[in-house]
Amino acid sequence: MLPGRGRTKIRPPRRGLGTNDVVDFDTTWAILASSLREIHTKNASQLSFEALYRNAYKLVLKKLGEQLYFRVKDFEEAWLTAEVLPRVLADLSTALLVDNAGTSSLTTANERRAAGEKMLMALKKSWEDHNLCMNMTSDILMYMERVYCTDNRKPSVFAAAMAQFRDYVLRAPLPSAPDTKIISVLLSVMLDQIRMEREGDIIDKTLIRSCAYMLEGLYETEEDEENLKLYLTEFEPAFLSATREFYRAEGTSLIQEADAGTFCRHAMKRADEEQDRCRSTLSALTSPKVKLVVDEELIKNNIAIVINMPNGVKYMLDNDRLGELRLVFELISRVDPKKDELRKAVQEIIVELGTEINRSAANPSHGLTVDTTRPEGDKPEGKGKPPADKSLNLQTTAAIKWVDDILELKGKYDTVLNDAFAADQSLQTAFARSFTDFINDFERSSEYLSLFFDENLKKGIKGKTENEVDILLDKGITLLRYIQEKDMFEQYYKKHLARRLLMKRSVSMDAERQMISKMKMEVGNTFTQRIESMFKDMAISEDLNAQYKRHVSQLGDPDPKRADLEVTVLTSTMWPLDTMRPSYRDDEINRPLCIFPSQIERIKHGFEKYYLDKHSGRRLTWQANMGTADLRAYFPEMKGTKKTRELNVSTYAMVILLLFNDLPPGASYSCEEIQDKTNIPTNELTRNLQSLAVAQKGRVLIKEPMSKDVKLTDRFFFNENFYSQFQKIKVGVVTSGNQVEEQSERKDTEKKIDDARVGTIEAALVRIMKQRKELSHQNLVTEAIQQLLFRFRPDPIMIKARIESLIDRDYLARIEDREPPAYRYLA
Amino acid sequence: MPAGSTLSTHVTLISSDGFEFIILREAAYVAGTIKKMLDPTSAFAEAVTGRCTLGSINGVILEKVCEYLYYNLKHKDAQDVPDMDIPPELCLELLMAADYLQGKPSEALS
Repeated sequence: MLPGRGRTKIRPPRRGLGTNDVVDFDTTWAILASSLREIHTKNASQLSFEALYRNAYKLVLKKLGEQLYFRVKDFEEAWLTAEVLPRVLADLSTALLVDNAGTSSLTTANERRAAGEKMLMALKKSWEDHNLCMNMTSDILMYMERVYCTDNRKPSVFAAAMAQFRDYVLRAPLPSAPDTKIISVLLSVMLDQIRMEREGDIIDKTLIRSCAYMLEGLYETEEDEENLKLYLTEFEPAFLSATREFYRAEGTSLIQEADAGTFCRHAMKRADEEQDRCRSTLSALTSPKVKLVVDEELIKNNIAIVINMPNGVKYMLDNDRLGELRLVFELISRVDPKKDELRKAVQEIIVELGTEINRSAANPSHGLTVDTTRPEGDKPEGKGKPPADKSLNLQTTAAIKWVDDILELKGKYDTVLNDAFAADQSLQTAFARSFTDFINDFERSSEYLSLFFDENLKKGIKGKTENEVDILLDKGITLLRYIQEKDMFEQYYKKHLARRLLMKRSVSMDAERQMISKMKMEVGNTFTQRIESMFKDMAISEDLNAQYKRHVSQLGDPDPKRADLEVTVLTSTMWPLDTMRPSYRDDEINRPLCIFPSQIERIKHGFEKYYLDKHSGRRLTWQANMGTADLRAYFPEMKGTKKTRELNVSTYAMVILLLFNDLPPGASYSCEEIQDKTNIPTNELTRNLQSLAVAQKGRVLIKEPMSKDVKLTDRFFFNENFYSQFQKIKVGVVTSGNQVEEQSERKDTEKKIDDARVGTIEAALVRIMKQRKELSHQNLVTEAIQQLLFRFRPDPIMIKARIESLIDRDYLARIEDREPPAYRYLA
Repeated sequence: MPAGSTLSTHVTLISSDGFEFIILREAAYVAGTIKKMLDPTSAFAEAVTGRCTLGSINGVILEKVCEYLYYNLKHKDAQDVPDMDIPPELCLELLMAADYLQGKPSEALS
């Protein structure tokens, strides 16, 4: 900044600064020394800074800096030893006695605290004084520090004096016990005070804080290295080990005395307290370290025990103690990012509760009391079920209860997860795995879930808003997510859906469609394809019926007696027709189809002709077991004036009833005769006769002898005395509802699913091999399992069998001499 | 200066030959030595009275020093500051005064 243009000659200074003065070191030092004493006794306002500074300045200019430096150090050493140390020792003696005695019982906590505080106060005061004086001293010696210390790499006067304080005060031995240094007394007093606070006493936090500051301001060496602060080298290790000791003991005693909730609250409180202590009493440096100690001693060593206590996590979950669960979660999050113990405990409980639900569903009589409380009583059944059917119905209720129970469980654990476990990712996956486990453990889960949807789409959603329906379906879909054997579910869903559609039992087609789109999102396109085409068939059939009606009216054959026909044409590959087929007995499989009465047969032919004209090359198969018919019947002996009633019956029942038209009054058919004339499969026949002649409500026929079971020799009469107060009567057939399958049906379904899986697995294997050409056995199986997993849980043995079969059929070939075994794709 | 009261806005610098310069306290603080001299926590005589007698600097030099103190304060945060005009005959004495006054090594040549 000073411009150095040398045009003008630089004159020498008129008066050299001090260079002309003769400087005598001893006189100058004498002045400085006495001033230093004044500074230490706080009389600085009498001194001129400038004069002192100038004296030191001169000495340094005269190259006497080194002497000055060491004189100052000597002076400080003498001062600390002669003046400061005795003052500290005077206040320390009482506290020292207490600590040396070691047995604190001799003195009360109050005395101990007072003595400790006195000692800390004395140290704090001398430290603060020393600091102030050394600041002033280093100010007046600033020139020396700048020139001499920097040039000769000496620590500044201030740093040197701090080191002196460390050596001549803190590390001075006690006169009464030369082995003990003041600093160790200081540490034990500080720790003692902290211990008192932990035990609930109130201590002077600022005082401790000042002492911690002092230790933070002092270093092991004269170069101020951060990690060599006395606080870190002396105090912190002692503090941490004392803390460790304290919490180890506290953890051990607490775990024996307190219950889990109390333990968690206490541990949390302790952890917070220690953080506060670091903030307000010690140093922020210690905060992470003491956290580790508390976490390890108090939490990590005990949390597993706490979780598994009798009043641990299980109790909390059972009693919805969300607050305590949150504490457990927070505690374990501190020590274990994977939260293994908590995860294990909760998973165990979920599986246990889930297994309980499974068990009560598998054994419905067990849940009977619960079932009756459900609002099933006012269910408009109107079918007059034979009592033999009750248990089946009970099982259906149990199925729905199973789903409800699981949903309730799921809801509960969702709440727990979100409110107490901070929606933790790893716990969420663990929960889901547990649900998957126990749901798939239950072999009827797919069927039950489908029944749940069936029930709701038939009745449950009546009177609910769109939103509520949405939520309900979503809940069901959540369970679908857990089910691994999705092909099994599809099978059941299709079966149940078919019944809903054909019997027009669905409450709302909107809800059905909503359901489909939800499934599509959840499981994918291929899954819903067939289900969607079922809906398409329904729509097409509706159009077809309208067209056919127009066609018939144009024919100009207005036969008044002609029955109206409504046909639903189903694509046989899309609909689960085999499950809807009339249940033949094993010996009847080859029985010819049902014989329809002539007037019906005529209509049937008419439609077949019409349809096949439109769509050549198709084949219609009539499924008499699925249809219904409306009849108007005349009962000559009926009470009242109007003697006709409209009957809504199944197609088979219609066929049976029409037989009686040809019969003179009072005559009868035997069961066997009916069967001969109609060809209705025995099971169906029995069922229909039961509902026509045995059920309470629609006893259109009279059976002789009057009993529940229908035997081939039983005789049936037309009931001319039939009476019903209603004009329209629905005579239901026993199995028209969707119910839990019987054991035999179930076996059937399983077999069918296994057959379907054979195809799916083979398709997957060929697909993979076509792409890869060559693949080892292990990789092939793994990849196949991966592809199939979204449909069902593939069985490796089954896959192996399919590979064998594909080799037999020359799709694949074993590669010779290959280890591990591998296959080649044969195009 | 009585403790606790607010500090005066101006301080007095006195040269070896008796000239008194009354300057802003802020400007005086530019010189490290003077700043320490006036530090109220140390409470030396200068800090109490607000008057600094600089026995090794004469009036001519001190005037230039005061000019520099203001010049430095004014351009504290500025860039591309024009050089201050220094008469060459005063250079050596000014250098010595600067060495004496600035106190901290880092500021000595700024």
